[in-house]
Amino acid sequence: MTDAHELQRERISIYHDVYDNKIPKRVPVDISLTFDVIAQFGGLNLTEVQWNPALIEEAVDRMCQIVYSDRCIYGGSLRYPSFYQILKAQSFQIASNGFIQHPEVVGMLPEDYDYLIENPYDCILERIIPRQYKAFNLHDPINCAISFAKSILAYQNENAQTGMIISKMVEKYGYYPGGRYSGGFTEAPFDFLADMLRGFKGISMDIRRMPEKVAAACDALYPIVFKRGLPSAISNYGDVFIPLHMAPFMREKDFATLWWPSFKRMVDEYASMGIHCRIFCERDWTRYLDYLYELPTDTRIMFEYGDPKLIKEKLGKKHIIMGLYPIMSLKTKTKQECMDEAKRYIDALAPGGKYLFGFDKNPLFFSDIKLGCLCAVTETVRDYAVYSNAGETAGMVFNKEDYKAEPSRKIESKYYKTWEEYKAQNPEVADFGRQKLQGLEETIFNYFTFLLM
Amino acid sequence: MIDLKELTQAVGELDEEKVTEMLTEFVSSKPTEEEAQKVVNACQQGMGIVGDLFEKGEYFVGDLIFAGELLTEAINILKPVIGGQSASKVGTIVLGTVHGDLHDIGKNIFRSMAEAAGFVVHDLGIDQPVENFVEKVREVKPEIVGMSGVLTLAIESMKDTIEGLKKAGLRDGVKIIIGGNPVTKEACEYVGADAFTTNAAEGVKICQGWVK
Repeated sequence: MTDAHELQRERISIYHDVYDNKIPKRVPVDISLTFDVIAQFGGLNLTEVQWNPALIEEAVDRMCQIVYSDRCIYGGSLRYPSFYQILKAQSFQIASNGFIQHPEVVGMLPEDYDYLIENPYDCILERIIPRQYKAFNLHDPINCAISFAKSILAYQNENAQTGMIISKMVEKYGYYPGGRYSGGFTEAPFDFLADMLRGFKGISMDIRRMPEKVAAACDALYPIVFKRGLPSAISNYGDVFIPLHMAPFMREKDFATLWWPSFKRMVDEYASMGIHCRIFCERDWTRYLDYLYELPTDTRIMFEYGDPKLIKEKLGKKHIIMGLYPIMSLKTKTKQECMDEAKRYIDALAPGGKYLFGFDKNPLFFSDIKLGCLCAVTETVRDYAVYSNAGETAGMVFNKEDYKAEPSRKIESKYYKTWEEYKAQNPEVADFGRQKLQGLEETIFNYFTFLLM
Repeated sequence: MIDLKELTQAVGELDEEKVTEMLTEFVSSKPTEEEAQKVVNACQQGMGIVGDLFEKGEYFVGDLIFAGELLTEAINILKPVIGGQSASKVGTIVLGTVHGDLHDIGKNIFRSMAEAAGFVVHDLGIDQPVENFVEKVREVKPEIVGMSGVLTLAIESMKDTIEGLKKAGLRDGVKIIIGGNPVTKEACEYVGADAFTTNAAEGVKICQGWVK
């Protein structure tokens, strides 16, 4: 057996122990560097190389040799320019430094609420996508179809290239094989409404001017974002990734009535199917820790801010905690200070298990970190965060029977066909085509919804 | 005559309906410019209450955005009666999101609160190269430069911008405040700014302290 295979076996065992409510041999080092960071590390020109993500492989390989991590350190990117530019995206634009960002752009107007509530998927395709993606121009239907087809093909191509590099590295360096986004990716219903539909400003107005419509819109969008996150296969080791956005910017009163109910319902419904969620609590969630406690057992919660001791005390027995170590330290502190700080986080968060070491956020550019500090921190975690009571039970145990799904409306739209509808219209299609044809339908659905996340 | 205290309180409570109603009624009473200016001041004081409630943790960013919009609406209603004269300015700020970063929500909140506090704000916009900051500072000679950024990479851009101001010999003539998600005490020292904040209301108070 090669070293890489042996290492991989150890890594699988420590990750699975965390997910199986056991104390692992040591705390997994779960860190990730984006396409942009590694491109810069490799001396590649970001504005050029992001048009061909395969060119990054050599730099990824070198980074894997330098920095210790238990999961592949290369996390790829959700945002490559090709598929956004082909569709003339308003919501994702390339800044002067080549970095793709999401400026505040409104996709939905206040007067669209009634239609969204009545017929959410139709409203998204007919009104919102065309506003956010100018090449999805309903007045130029043939070019619209061509642009959409090119964009989705580009998306699949970039993702395949990224996936291939990660798979190679997993094999070569014996990383834990679970992919970061393999279990699905979605947003909380309110965040979906806020981010690219109404925008930060729009939603802040709506919360005060028309809260009933906001609540009704979250319910209407629920089946769409729920379906968006469903993984292709359910496993105790996989998870649906849900970055959470708006809650810290809201008053608790608004959070409790408008943000939380549809999100809670979503994670409960996933839990009733045995699906775990990995949520990223952007900004400071300290005032919502009691709400987070109510989430299904073993929710994987990545924090950006907060007191590690308080978080551990309130949530540590029930949920799996990630994040918190400030990435800014890797830029502004000495190697020794960084190592000492890592030990402080481990001392607060590791006892009792249910913890993966990670940063509060991913560095965006290579200049955000000093490589020597990064190496020192991850090696410190590997060597210091070792348990003496491996194999013992860690905190509360997840049972999917504890959770119930509330009934919700089906996605009914002339733009989304179920297999049954397709078969009724085309009775000559053999059942052998079911998986493929339904799969294509889902691919299109997933891409349209991705464009608004 | 309009009850100024009640108006200030309604702005502070972000009671849009009441503010609109009071101001519409006030404008229809054909007030003098001086009376109108008092009403503008009352609205600005209401924004001060909003800032305080934000610092106390009773209001959040969403409320500040709403407050900014409410103030804009209020000024629009008052426009026909305010006349040409504007309130006395307390200072000048050159503001912008640094290069590489396209975010502007935080910057816009800071701008509306600083304007409400009587500053003249020259907003450069987003993704601004160093030379745009330098040129604007040379042109308008502000007391304060505000740099905004949400992404971690903005820290490096803030440092570049301050270096640019130094090279142009303009650094010592201004106070520099940085704001946004990634700024910390360490980041502030690293880039060489005079102050940092993740809180627009606090940022305005810091600026007020500088121009006293």
